[in-house]
Amino acid sequence: MLELKQVSKTYKNGVNALYDINLKIEQGEFVYIIGPTGSGKSTLIKLLDGEEIPTKGVVDVLGINVGKLRHSKVPKYRRNIGVVFQDFRLLERKTVFENIAFAMEVLNEPAKVIRKRVRQVMNLVGLDDKGAAFPAELSGGQQQRVAIARAIANKPKILIADEPTGNLDPGKSDEIMVLLEKINREEGTTILMVTHDTVLVNKHRKRTLVLEAGHLVADMTEGGYFSHE
Amino acid sequence: MSKFFRRIGRYFKEGFWGVVRHGAMALSSASAVTITLTIISIFLMFSFNLDQFTREIEGTVQVSATLEYECDGEDELRIRDAILKIEGVDKVTYKTREEEFDYFVEMYDADGKAGLREIYGDQHPMHAAYYINVTSNADLKMIASEVAKIEGIYETSYGGEGAVLLMDALDSVRYGGMILVAALSALAIFLISNTIKLTIYARNKEIAIMRAVGASNADIRFPYVIEGILIGLLGSLVPVGLTIFGYIYLYRFLGGVLLTQMWPLIAPHPFVLYLSAILVAAGVIVGLVGSFFSVSKYLRWKR
Repeated sequence: MLELKQVSKTYKNGVNALYDINLKIEQGEFVYIIGPTGSGKSTLIKLLDGEEIPTKGVVDVLGINVGKLRHSKVPKYRRNIGVVFQDFRLLERKTVFENIAFAMEVLNEPAKVIRKRVRQVMNLVGLDDKGAAFPAELSGGQQQRVAIARAIANKPKILIADEPTGNLDPGKSDEIMVLLEKINREEGTTILMVTHDTVLVNKHRKRTLVLEAGHLVADMTEGGYFSHE
Repeated sequence: MSKFFRRIGRYFKEGFWGVVRHGAMALSSASAVTITLTIISIFLMFSFNLDQFTREIEGTVQVSATLEYECDGEDELRIRDAILKIEGVDKVTYKTREEEFDYFVEMYDADGKAGLREIYGDQHPMHAAYYINVTSNADLKMIASEVAKIEGIYETSYGGEGAVLLMDALDSVRYGGMILVAALSALAIFLISNTIKLTIYARNKEIAIMRAVGASNADIRFPYVIEGILIGLLGSLVPVGLTIFGYIYLYRFLGGVLLTQMWPLIAPHPFVLYLSAILVAAGVIVGLVGSFFSVSKYLRWKR
């Protein structure tokens, strides 16, 4: 469902971000992407959600050649992909319910459908009773749950989590991992998770892609943190 | 279809709440629109009335040429042809002696009229006359002296040259005003687009989320455009009120004329309604242009 063929990316300012990446991910997989800062993780994500165009090679997601997508088609394509950020990016002046509903409102879904789906995802992330709360009244872990609920509200095929546990303590990080695994299982969403957290990667073992200086240096089906020093 | 209406409904709802949520900012750009539109309104009142005066005066600026008493029908035709040959002559109207006398008598009140008719009867001293309308910019003095040379002309006279000069002067004031209005409109557009830019900047998180979940550019842009239009409408409220009540008050206060009977003001109805329509349209256009540009600028930077 997701395939990169000999993908290279060079930015306009001459920075080489990715070299000759070959990669295949199946529907329903849970994959870690790890690597130090500047290894090309962010670029990989941007190529997947259509924000950047590969300099060479083909990015194929759900049978769509993402690099060749016309500008006007990008928004519709992006509905296939949910994104969760390290800094949550919730709207402070909207309640939890409104934050989640916002993602569906901007796609002009009917109010009835929105209410139903928002309750469903709030239940899924374990925030049934927090609908009327504002983000500032929640803990970091709870805020990230809201962000995840918002990302999956439109039922994307792929969920990209960009260091979702980066701002959380180990206990909370673990809870988020359990939640992502649950989504992966129950909604059948393919999950790509970028992380620095060695503890998590070693504890919840999954397929792990290791990027370093723009090269895909390891693809371990068994998982576990990779260090070649 | 229902999706279409839902979408339009959401644009208006979001646009409306955008104005409410950023009330202070919206008010500040609306006041910029208000000031601009008020000045445009004053300018338009001045300009339209000036147009009217100009037309009025152009109608009255003419050379009158009275004919000798001895002129018969043949002479009149000859003189008419001769006048029409002079450069700058637009139109010639013939008035008989009786018509001239009636016109003269009309200037008096009822007693005076009766008195004049009694005194003169048919033996009044009026001449038959040609009234010569000239093309604009024509030299009145030159035409008058040319006409005087024609055989059978008793006397020529003209008036209103000073008025024409005044009109020319006011016309240049009007051009200056137009430049001022254009500059102010540009300023208002700039201020609105700046306000919208600030509100967008304040909401770029919202926009980032909208982009992330796959909202189309139109879905992101239109609420802001409607917000801009609403700000423009809001800004046009006060100028419209000022125009309607201010002009009606001014018209009554001045008794329907400016300084002299020579310059009648345009009647308030429906003039003020036309002006208001122009102002509202200008407010909407300024809001639309301002917001459209600023959003487009913000949406272009990313795919």
